[in-house]
Amino acid sequence: MRLRTLLPVLLILVVAIVLQTTLFSQTNVFTPDLVMLVVILLCLTRIRPEMLLAFGFIAGLAVDLLGSAVLGLRAIVFTIVAYLAVRTRERADIGRIITAIWVGLLTFAGVVLLVLVGTLFGQTVLLGEGVVERLVLVPIANMILAFLFAPIFVRVIDRDSTALRYA
Amino acid sequence: MLNRQPGDRTLPTLITLLVVGILLMTFDIRSEGAGVTSTLRTGAQTIVAPLQKGAAFVVNPIADVLESMTNVASLREQNLALQAELAERDAQLVAMQDDLALIEFYEQLYDLEATGSELGRTPAQVIGQPDAFDGALIIDKGSSDGVVAGQPVIDTSGYVVGSVEQVTPFSATIVPITVGPSGVAVAVGNQVGWVLPQVNTDEMRLELTDADEPVKAGDRVVTSSGSVRFPAGYPVGVIVTDASPSNDTLSTTVSPYVKTDTLRVVVVLAWPPDPISAITPDTTTTTSTTSTTVPGDDTSSTTSTTIDGNG
Repeated sequence: MRLRTLLPVLLILVVAIVLQTTLFSQTNVFTPDLVMLVVILLCLTRIRPEMLLAFGFIAGLAVDLLGSAVLGLRAIVFTIVAYLAVRTRERADIGRIITAIWVGLLTFAGVVLLVLVGTLFGQTVLLGEGVVERLVLVPIANMILAFLFAPIFVRVIDRDSTALRYA
Repeated sequence: MLNRQPGDRTLPTLITLLVVGILLMTFDIRSEGAGVTSTLRTGAQTIVAPLQKGAAFVVNPIADVLESMTNVASLREQNLALQAELAERDAQLVAMQDDLALIEFYEQLYDLEATGSELGRTPAQVIGQPDAFDGALIIDKGSSDGVVAGQPVIDTSGYVVGSVEQVTPFSATIVPITVGPSGVAVAVGNQVGWVLPQVNTDEMRLELTDADEPVKAGDRVVTSSGSVRFPAGYPVGVIVTDASPSNDTLSTTVSPYVKTDTLRVVVVLAWPPDPISAITPDTTTTTSTTSTTVPGDDTSSTTSTTIDGNG
């Protein structure tokens, strides 16, 4: 993987983490999981699948390190989401709406997995007020952001202005 | 259907990363968040904290605007309710000032010295939360400001918020009592017990042991002296529904005073003053004895006051 691809990815990841832990953590209605969204959208780029899984793991681990839940929980969840995204991405890049729905479904799978594994490991910090609502609101917010920004995100990472043009 | 191609190394990579993740989780749970994992967390938070502070400075007003736009109707109702509550509090304040004057008079009369109210306080701004699911709060004060892991945290009104879990030089992570892994020792009147967090609600479950009196909706729940995590007497919440004891135990729900999703400023208490006492359960009973000689009377009366520490 080239440095000119790696640097923007890391920069976007850091920006996503900072925005998620500040701006979007303080709104109750629009609550995207920006880091998970970045991991999913990266799977639409030309980055090698193994690297995508590694990015998912590192991104999840970074959020784990900043949170209070057990270390490795999100790393596992984001890696699985990246794997599912890699395996299904060819069905996603056929239209803007389809891409958004694909992102929404993967996010839903991710947050359900997060809550399930968190519950199994006794992470009460993840099960506070409104956890059920957030299982729905987070995928919807990610879907909206994917609808708006998925094409430009892929073009920036791939440095290809023709990427994700939806023929 | 999932799409796989020959020579694809994605599955072995996935399995490897999952194994590493599970090992990390096991190690973190076994070490109870201490050791290497604590160092890793501290390092990561130290790097990100300045960025979060900068971002919070810019985005907090934006978040407030977004939040208020979605809650205009409820804010109006809340405003009216708060105005009524303020009037009621003003009346209580006047009565309280009379009581304080009386207490001051008695303190001077019996030469008493107030203790326990000089806890060090570190006000801190809430700069964020890890994500939509993690209920922990990140604040902008850390070990360089005297914040230590385990210290209790209250809001600006003195209501219990939670306790400090992780500290870096310039930030700290607070776990609110509504999502914390353990309960809080509390008192309702002269009865003691625990409040415990519940799933998918900010209401907490109150369990009173050796209960002999019923509790009523609106009764105040405060921290008890049996708590090793919080100083006694700090308000936690109010009882939501009436309940009566059954087989010496009583169970009901408590609505905490603090709503963590709207918190912007908190106060970290430097408690206990001696950190060693934090790991020693408080089982002592304080007894103060006052001897009074009545002028013109050759008998002296001795008043013995036992404080059971129930707030």
